[in-house]
Amino acid sequence: MAKVWTRHTVKGAAQSGLAAVCVSVFALASCQTLPPPDPQAKLIAKGRDLFLNETFEGNGRTCGSCHPPENNFTIDSSFIATLPDDNPLFVAEFNPDLATLERPELLRKFGLILENLDGFDDLENKFTMRGVPHTLGLSVSVNSALGPRTGWSGDGAPGDGSLRSFATGAVIQHFTKTLNRVAGVDFRLPTDEELDALEAFQLSLGRQADLTLPLPLRGTIAKRGQEIFLDRNTGKCSACHVNAGANGDPNIFGAGAGNLNFDTGVENLPDQPARLVETFPIDGGFGTDPDGGSTNVPNPDGSFGNKTFNTPPVVEAADSGPFFHNNAVQTIEGAVAFYNGDAFNNSPAGQLLRGATGSGINLDGTQVDEVAAFLRVINALENIRESIAQLGASLDVHRSKADEHLKLAIAETKDSILVLKAAGLHPDAVAHLKKAKRLTRKAARSWFFRSKKTREAISEQKKARALLVE
Amino acid sequence: MARLGFLMGMVAIGALLWGGTPYAHGQKTTEMFIPMGQSPGLSGNVTVIGTIETVNARDRTIVVAGSSGRWSTTVTKHTHIWLDRSKLHLPTQYGTFADLRKGRMVELYYEGRERRDKGPAEWIKVKVTEPSGGAARQ
Repeated sequence: MAKVWTRHTVKGAAQSGLAAVCVSVFALASCQTLPPPDPQAKLIAKGRDLFLNETFEGNGRTCGSCHPPENNFTIDSSFIATLPDDNPLFVAEFNPDLATLERPELLRKFGLILENLDGFDDLENKFTMRGVPHTLGLSVSVNSALGPRTGWSGDGAPGDGSLRSFATGAVIQHFTKTLNRVAGVDFRLPTDEELDALEAFQLSLGRQADLTLPLPLRGTIAKRGQEIFLDRNTGKCSACHVNAGANGDPNIFGAGAGNLNFDTGVENLPDQPARLVETFPIDGGFGTDPDGGSTNVPNPDGSFGNKTFNTPPVVEAADSGPFFHNNAVQTIEGAVAFYNGDAFNNSPAGQLLRGATGSGINLDGTQVDEVAAFLRVINALENIRESIAQLGASLDVHRSKADEHLKLAIAETKDSILVLKAAGLHPDAVAHLKKAKRLTRKAARSWFFRSKKTREAISEQKKARALLVE
Repeated sequence: MARLGFLMGMVAIGALLWGGTPYAHGQKTTEMFIPMGQSPGLSGNVTVIGTIETVNARDRTIVVAGSSGRWSTTVTKHTHIWLDRSKLHLPTQYGTFADLRKGRMVELYYEGRERRDKGPAEWIKVKVTEPSGGAARQ
């Protein structure tokens, strides 16, 4: 039978044709040929999946519970407040078997996690409360001539003490279903392959190289802050934070000294916010005896350890507070000002600095702000670097995986805006960053213009960067 | 000259602060919950896994016969002894020298990582296969 073509069928055919073209475009867009990932990239991807999703048959927590990517791989009270009550982070609140795993008020209000770093022989009285260190830039901050330094006191890992072994200790400490902590019952231990992947993923996060200071900064205030930071008579900061990283100055501590431990007196700060709310043991830092060994001999104040903590990198500091191992200080200005106070200047590190240089650290309020401005600007530069990397990566992967990169780029851009805006720094750069954030959001929503919007966002990030540094 | 003075002063700081902090060879507290043979980076590498061949209570030494030979160690007052009851699905217990009995399977880790004859043990894990196998305190 001959087909009778009516106006409607012609219109229908045209619509079908258009639909077919659209489908083809979509299909082509989503079937782009990508090169196969190299073995290291595959290992990192596996590590990422484990880090964010693997519970190790424990209480439901993952590594990402305390190290969420969207919050700079750390947690603070503001982030914690956004989580539902049934989040595994709060397992001590709803699982009677784990009622003493955490101090819930200290967790919610101050982001402090309970750690049995000095032993499990007296759970009621022997524990420390620590903030969650971010896991950015580990490849340039975890090593020292004396072995790897993991966690706030540098001794956070069992086994050989390496970053690779850290996950095993974390599962035992934080993932357990009961306080019996029986492997195979309360959790399963990560396999060798999983430890390899987790280590590869963590080492891939953030900076892969230290900065080379001084940077040719454009802002007068940040530039002055950098001078003070590097000056041996005023800031003296770079002795322990060479190039604003986590390593000791090789001219002082020797080549390859790497990440170092110091007793800077943070535990002696008066009026620590968390201690105003609850009483808990003094944190003795590295080891379990005054010599940093493992003999469980207490200090006169009842703490265990040699009172030293390791040096965190300061490039990532401004957007990853609160600060210090006990989250005692809320702002980057407060963290810089700490080194002016009695707690630092009377500490073993402060006293030795005074003896070696003839004076302690005594910055005026303007200088504190200037050093903090420097730290804010280098943090923003790192945010921009990471944002551009994430935006670029979103162009190189399948659509289904691009959203995660764009989401992280938005989070990084939010941070760069925040760290600059909070101190009134570089409003012109902030305007570009806001535009970059809008474009990235559009890219995440768009099918057809994703690449275009992403490239425009990269361009805005570069414009912002050009206003911060030559 | 001032620069030299500063550097010398800071080198002194380096020696005092940095030299005072020992090698971070592992946070031992969670180590106690890792079953024998599974300590990452240590088991099958620098530890000795084997059977206790002799026990000398007077010298507080033991000899462990493992696949890599016979190894003696001194058990000091600082040596951690842990009773690994994971095969029984029971929690690890703290042990004492009395738990180091001939014929028992142990994993031995020397202080300072290196295996050496009669070197002090940093920790010893004892495999316990019966619920009443430990003479220890919880």
